[in-house]
Amino acid sequence: MSKWYIEKGDQGDIVLSTRIRLARNLREEPFPIKLDAQGKNRVNALIRSAVFENDQNDFSFIEMKDLSRRQAVSLAERHLISPEFAAKKEGSALILSKDESVSIMLCEEDHIRLQVMKAGLDLEGAYDIADKLDSMLDARVHFAFDERIGYLTQCPTNLGTAMRASVMLHLPALTRCGQMTRLANTVSKLGLTVRGAYGEGSQPKGDLYQISNQITLGITEETAIANLKSIVLQLVAQERAAAAELMKNPAEEDKIYRALGVLRLARLLSSDEFMELISLVRLGVARGLLDVPMEKINELIVNMQPATLSVMHSEADGPAARDAARAKIVRETL
Amino acid sequence: MLCQNCGKNEATTHIKQIINGDMAESHLCADCAAHLGYSDVFSGFGLNLSELFGGFLGDMLPAAAPGRVQRCARCGSSFEEIARSGMVGCADCYTTFYDRLLPSIQRIHGKIKHSGKIGAAVPAAAPQEETKEEKRAKLQAQMDKAIADQAFEEAAKLRDAMRALDAEGGNAQ
Repeated sequence: MSKWYIEKGDQGDIVLSTRIRLARNLREEPFPIKLDAQGKNRVNALIRSAVFENDQNDFSFIEMKDLSRRQAVSLAERHLISPEFAAKKEGSALILSKDESVSIMLCEEDHIRLQVMKAGLDLEGAYDIADKLDSMLDARVHFAFDERIGYLTQCPTNLGTAMRASVMLHLPALTRCGQMTRLANTVSKLGLTVRGAYGEGSQPKGDLYQISNQITLGITEETAIANLKSIVLQLVAQERAAAAELMKNPAEEDKIYRALGVLRLARLLSSDEFMELISLVRLGVARGLLDVPMEKINELIVNMQPATLSVMHSEADGPAARDAARAKIVRETL
Repeated sequence: MLCQNCGKNEATTHIKQIINGDMAESHLCADCAAHLGYSDVFSGFGLNLSELFGGFLGDMLPAAAPGRVQRCARCGSSFEEIARSGMVGCADCYTTFYDRLLPSIQRIHGKIKHSGKIGAAVPAAAPQEETKEEKRAKLQAQMDKAIADQAFEEAAKLRDAMRALDAEGGNAQ
């Protein structure tokens, strides 16, 4: 079955994916920080039976303790779980739909972290699915809710709608023009956050950024989504304009062709080098310079991450073998 | 624990990262974290974590120090525990410590009144609240439509109905 992230969605030249995450807790149970493994398993069993009672998503139930470290990290690399959750063992579980577009972390920071992913920019579509699943669960378990401060969460930063909406953007031209710091500052004044989608810190890998809403209390889901969407569309327009400007320089165009050349011929590719080159190639495809399907690029960006690569290809064991396997797959794909 | 980078200051920023498929943990002081570009790590969670703790501790702890420690009847958390970890123990903690949590909540979100989806299993008082808000929203929508259709008499009636509804709410509080 094809995974959601392989498709190319709306604004697909720049927007890779959309994610909606809802945090929910059971009213009668202490929050995960106050639960031992036994208590967490009790909560997980309750939620599990509520989800599976009317399962239309072909869900599977995974206990984190049954996964190898590599499998767990691979789930985090694909943004299906949080990095913190990848380190958890006893008492933490994951419900995952077959196409991996819906994932429900059980006993992460909250009892329920329901997440829906869509290709391209589709905040309304993703929220619609999350909302329906949430209402379905709400009819079967008692959620902790307070009419004054909304859904009750373990961390007060998520109170209110407890919804985090985020969009992953590929912004190579704006990055190259040195505009990202300025844009991140502007966006933060509007109640949104921009950060690197892969690798925290100042230099995001592959020029991939995640932009998300920050405030959850006192703002409806619809308004938060509309705000985020309007900012994303403005960023998309700015990136396109910056890319058009950048392409006027023959040296920049040259970099794109060279990147494709290296990816097509290299025998060893480290993760960092791959991300740097694939970002250039993606820009070339977005500008119509290169005739490579965008879906293939998106798939490579997800699947060539270290742990995911090792899980999918048994020969990619250890850093050196992994770099060789990565180069081989990239060569064959491009 | 001392900062792994400078080895001088207390480590206050703890970072779990996935590097090349492996989990790595770093413990840094605030200066080194900012210097190494980790200053925005927590921004995705809505705020700088130290601000949250600062807010909690600065405002709340002195007031709580004297006398007996109040604890949540369900999970046993004290307010000091919540302030220290930045994590609330259970749904009842929000009721028990509501007044003490509120200033921090306001500092995080800027607002203290939820608007948006309302849970189905809300305690008895809430559905009434919900219908009233819904009623107002409906009236507002009808009035907007009336204005758009230039049916001003109708719009005035709807406006009066909304005012009456608002006055009701004022009395209730």
